[in-house]
Amino acid sequence: MPDMILIMASSARPIKHTDCNNKVELEQVNDSVIGKGPAISISGLEFAFGKRPVLTGIDLVIPRGVAFGILGANGAGKTTLVRLLIGRLKPSAGTALIFGQNPGPALAESVGYMPQLNALYEALTVQENLDFFARMLGLSDAKQRVRAVERAIELVDLADRADSVISELSGGMRQRVSLGAALIHKPELLLLDEPTVGLDPELRNMFWQHFKEMTRSGTTILISSHTMDDAAHCDTLGFMRGGKFIATGTPDELRQSTGKPDSTLEDAFLHLSQKSVASA
Amino acid sequence: MMLFDRKFAIAGRIVREVRRDRRSVAMIIGAPIIVMSLIGFSFQDQKSVLNQVAPALIATMAMFFVFVLTAISFLRERSQGTLERLLSTAVTRSDLLVGYLAGFLLFALIQSIIILMYTLFVVDVDYAGKIWDIVLILLMVTVTSVSMGIFVSTFAKNEFQVVQFIPLILAPQIFLSGVILPTSQLPGYFQAVSGVLPLTYANRALRDIMLRGASLSDVLPEIGVLALFAIGMLVAAAATVRRT
Repeated sequence: MPDMILIMASSARPIKHTDCNNKVELEQVNDSVIGKGPAISISGLEFAFGKRPVLTGIDLVIPRGVAFGILGANGAGKTTLVRLLIGRLKPSAGTALIFGQNPGPALAESVGYMPQLNALYEALTVQENLDFFARMLGLSDAKQRVRAVERAIELVDLADRADSVISELSGGMRQRVSLGAALIHKPELLLLDEPTVGLDPELRNMFWQHFKEMTRSGTTILISSHTMDDAAHCDTLGFMRGGKFIATGTPDELRQSTGKPDSTLEDAFLHLSQKSVASA
Repeated sequence: MMLFDRKFAIAGRIVREVRRDRRSVAMIIGAPIIVMSLIGFSFQDQKSVLNQVAPALIATMAMFFVFVLTAISFLRERSQGTLERLLSTAVTRSDLLVGYLAGFLLFALIQSIIILMYTLFVVDVDYAGKIWDIVLILLMVTVTSVSMGIFVSTFAKNEFQVVQFIPLILAPQIFLSGVILPTSQLPGYFQAVSGVLPLTYANRALRDIMLRGASLSDVLPEIGVLALFAIGMLVAAAATVRRT
């Protein structure tokens, strides 16, 4: 049995309403859809590509209003877990519920997803991409959508490039547009698959400022990453190895698991990883 | 309104993307004109051969260009991750299919009209039927072709692989649907194959309309079979459209 430090993060914080009409409307819609339970509850989850198991025995509960980081090496199963949570893959066994429901289109207005690839339309401008994804996410009212696009552009600090086509943007700018597209409808849950890969420290810091503001206002964020820099910003972490969580807890608790003072999260990850190999 | 908003948005996005790619727009308009000029002016002294071949060529071009455009753009949706992102939203199969169909139908319509007008009035091919009857048949070919493009893109991992499908899908249609040789002169087994190719029925209908002045009611059996192909390919495309 691998080391398991299961720490439940603090209970959900209330959602603060903003002065944006769109937000109020979305929350009215979402409230009826998403209920009151935890943001994510995963139980006995297993997934295999053919005969190759990718995820085994995942149990996890993520309360609302926290930033939960999935940390693990490449191939640990992080992206597969995120894809299960957006409903693109179906579990081989067990359940993965979002707001108490199976992932799918009914939850689309409550969930924002930023894929690993930027996944934007290269020939369209920043504004056109955001407007398009806003429509796909159900913002059919043109006035509301204009406000939502303006707000997203402002949030990712690309007002001066709003009319630039994506193919003219740097990698970091594309990441920012991709983030804008994920949060344009003010989702209650944001699923981010390696959102900070390739970002310079300044941009990474800017992303985290946004994420923290969002969790403060009640949004739940699940972020997959393999950099310890991201890990330190999360409220709660899950270390993944070989398709399962080898430990979960707050960054401090995980650091302490090494039993040595001044341990870094990287030390903790390596320590717990070795321990899980030894006990396997 | 909400029901159609995503479909409009997808169609609008496709139109915008293609329109921004000026070289592609030039090719969509220029390439069929060049091909029709080449064929038309080569057969200038053999008008009866040209008249016989032109209806089939018009249908083949409509099928070819739309198939390539759709297959490649849908493959891009899959390989660049935008389809995965779209499918994490509330988008439905019908949003994707109708949106794609509407987007490409616009280009197909423009292209078909350009090919048709050029063939009839510049290359000076004889025709007897109504122009809009011809356009309708070409639109049915286009619907089949867009759906076929979406379906085929499922089996390709990259643009190189999609290009390999072009001869595989289109060559049998060109050789066996009566473009080059009347289907009645083909060996028996190839006649059987030609019976399951949509272009065979499009060619028959267009020849009847253009050469013999037939009306739509005269070519109803061909229209019926073309409609079945269009529906069949739409079902196949709908079954695979969500695969990433």
